[in-house]
Amino acid sequence: MDNPTIIKTKDVVKRYRQGDKDIYAANSITMEVRKGDFLAIIGPSGSGKSTLLQLIGGLDRPTGGQIEINGVDIAKISDRKLTEVRRNQMGFIFQNFNLIPTLTAAQNVEAVISKRSRQDRARVRDALKQVGLEQRANHLPSLLSGGEQQRVAIARALINDPDIILADEPTGNLDSATGEGIIGLLSDLNKNRHKTVILISHSDYIKKYASKIVEIKDGKISDRS
Amino acid sequence: MFYLRYLWAELTRRWGKTLTISLGLAMASAVIIVIISVSQSLSTAQDKVLNPLQNVGTDIMVSRTLAQNNLGSIDATTRDEVMADNRITTDFSKLGNPGDAFSYDTFLPGSMLTFASSETEKIDQSLVKEYAGGLVLNVVHQEGTIPKLTAEIETGGQSIGFSRTFEMSDTDRQAFADAQAKAMADLKAQGIDPNSEAGRQALRDALPRPTQTVNGEVVVPKEIIHQEIGTFATDTTTNNYTLAGVDTAKTNIGLILPDQIVEGRYLQNSGEVVSTRAFAQKKNYSLNGTIKIGDKEFTLVGIVEPKLYTMTADLYVSLPDAQQLAGRDGKVNVLLVKATNADNVTAAGENVAALFTGATVTDASDTAKEVTGSLVNAASLTNKFIGVTSIIVIGAAFIIVSLLTVLSVNKRIREIGTLKAIGWGNTRIIRQIISENIVLGVLGAILAIGLAFGTIAILNHSNISLSATVASADANNIFGMARRAFGGQQSTAVTGTTTSVPLHINFSYLVLAIGSAVAILGSIVAGALAAIKASKMKPQEAFRNLE
Repeated sequence: MDNPTIIKTKDVVKRYRQGDKDIYAANSITMEVRKGDFLAIIGPSGSGKSTLLQLIGGLDRPTGGQIEINGVDIAKISDRKLTEVRRNQMGFIFQNFNLIPTLTAAQNVEAVISKRSRQDRARVRDALKQVGLEQRANHLPSLLSGGEQQRVAIARALINDPDIILADEPTGNLDSATGEGIIGLLSDLNKNRHKTVILISHSDYIKKYASKIVEIKDGKISDRS
Repeated sequence: MFYLRYLWAELTRRWGKTLTISLGLAMASAVIIVIISVSQSLSTAQDKVLNPLQNVGTDIMVSRTLAQNNLGSIDATTRDEVMADNRITTDFSKLGNPGDAFSYDTFLPGSMLTFASSETEKIDQSLVKEYAGGLVLNVVHQEGTIPKLTAEIETGGQSIGFSRTFEMSDTDRQAFADAQAKAMADLKAQGIDPNSEAGRQALRDALPRPTQTVNGEVVVPKEIIHQEIGTFATDTTTNNYTLAGVDTAKTNIGLILPDQIVEGRYLQNSGEVVSTRAFAQKKNYSLNGTIKIGDKEFTLVGIVEPKLYTMTADLYVSLPDAQQLAGRDGKVNVLLVKATNADNVTAAGENVAALFTGATVTDASDTAKEVTGSLVNAASLTNKFIGVTSIIVIGAAFIIVSLLTVLSVNKRIREIGTLKAIGWGNTRIIRQIISENIVLGVLGAILAIGLAFGTIAILNHSNISLSATVASADANNIFGMARRAFGGQQSTAVTGTTTSVPLHINFSYLVLAIGSAVAILGSIVAGALAAIKASKMKPQEAFRNLE
């Protein structure tokens, strides 16, 4: 039996006005992601793959269409509800890591915890342990390597135990070996912890990790497999 | 609490930003504190100077003061009185022998004509609560060597000789020939031989006298003439100072009051004198030393710092002493009057003024008008612009604070976008930023108070003084005329026409609170505005802003 659908988009459009021209960053995107999928969205630069990820992640709102996360159309809910969805159901990993520079690795992870409890520190420690950075918990991002920073970002993405992990070119700023390590980590989360991973890349090597691949070109899905 | 740790991390790990914003806030707030403090201090100083009468428990001063430049228009009686009051007669012959050193004081009431203090008994007690008389005198002090005032001229003793020959006229010669012929005829008739002795004698007797030569000598008698000389050479120097007779029986109204004594004590007995500090320093007087005024020796018992008003003097003695020195027993030339209440000031002034011919009433507003100088200018300037300046400074401070905060928040747009992306709500983001700004504001306020204290201390240490000048009624009037007429040297009088008011800047808790509030509220409001703006951005917009 197939896993339930966790993300469903229908005719999603994101249109920008540039001068007197309409630019379609996403043009009638319709797709489904099932729980436990490892979806790779690939395509050349400027194809609209990042826009699609941001729309799915609720970081931006579509011009038209529906985006359902666990049955809730996030295109129509309030900002407050959308924030809750992001906080509880999604974990984000960015190309530039986006760690808070003044917070230590542990504090960066702790910053995401939505419901505070006495176990917070233990949870943070566990999350960092999962990404192999337990010993670097009290280091500031500036003292960590790119790979380590991205691992902190992954720990941060995991701390609220979300169903979905959205990774926007997580290896874009890493060397290939480190990048492979990060992808391996995400793959491990997908396989062993059943996290739904949606990952963007403009590299083909990601295909060997992904269970589904969607290719985007000019804002449209040009291929899926 | 995570957000407190975040706050601490943000402030300490970006200490450069923390310091910059705090200092920016501090400087803006310190400027406000200093400007308001300077302004208030100027106002306080100005109030003291512009309302000097209040400092001596007085509502009004009554005097018979001649206005400057109107000596020509006053009536003959008053003019005679003025001239009599201010005539300086120095009779050297009574001061010693020529060549002796002399010292002589003349006491002049100047343009403030005297009046009998006994008239004050007619003052309406329902209008006047209290009054005190005073006698303000200009002392013309002369000293030098008594000149030789007479010249000795020896005349006469000369010998005048003369000799002159007179020639006979034709008529006389004819008469002589006729007389000779007649005598010869008479001798013949008498038979006397003209060549005999008797004949020659008779002939000589009969003839007129011949021409005579007159010789003479006149000796002018010797005489010594003593004559007064109109102008004479003298080494006399003339100095002026002012002396005031104080009604020592009154302790809360008068030309000076006991609480104005800054060293020594107030006048208690006859023969005591109190000096202003400036005059004592100029003349090297020391406390308990002796000062000769007129022909009397006084003991310096105190140093006074009289408040500025038109009646300041260099030396103060008791009223009877002053009257005695000036030879004006029972006379005063100023009355300080305290009305029974504020509503009666005008009526009291009119009541007292009516008792004396030509009396003028000076009230606080009159003295205020007479005060000029940098203090007044600075205070007027401050008064004129304080409102505008404060608004500009507060506005500028707010703009600086806002810019710093907005710049700071803008630099954190990616961070804010990330926080939103990972699930931070708007409220949480705004709370975090505002909390940071509260701390920055408090830091700024503390630094502002420190900066303001430092600036005020430097300003106070710089001994900035502002002058306030009162156009003294006598400065260039009668005293000046007397001085010039006598060919005296420049006056040494220190009479308080100008007061140097040191600018001592005080701060009040209210001002500190205002300055601190500007720092804290400015920081909070600017932080809130920037935070609200940032929080309203979609996370993606925040990221895009940086790209």
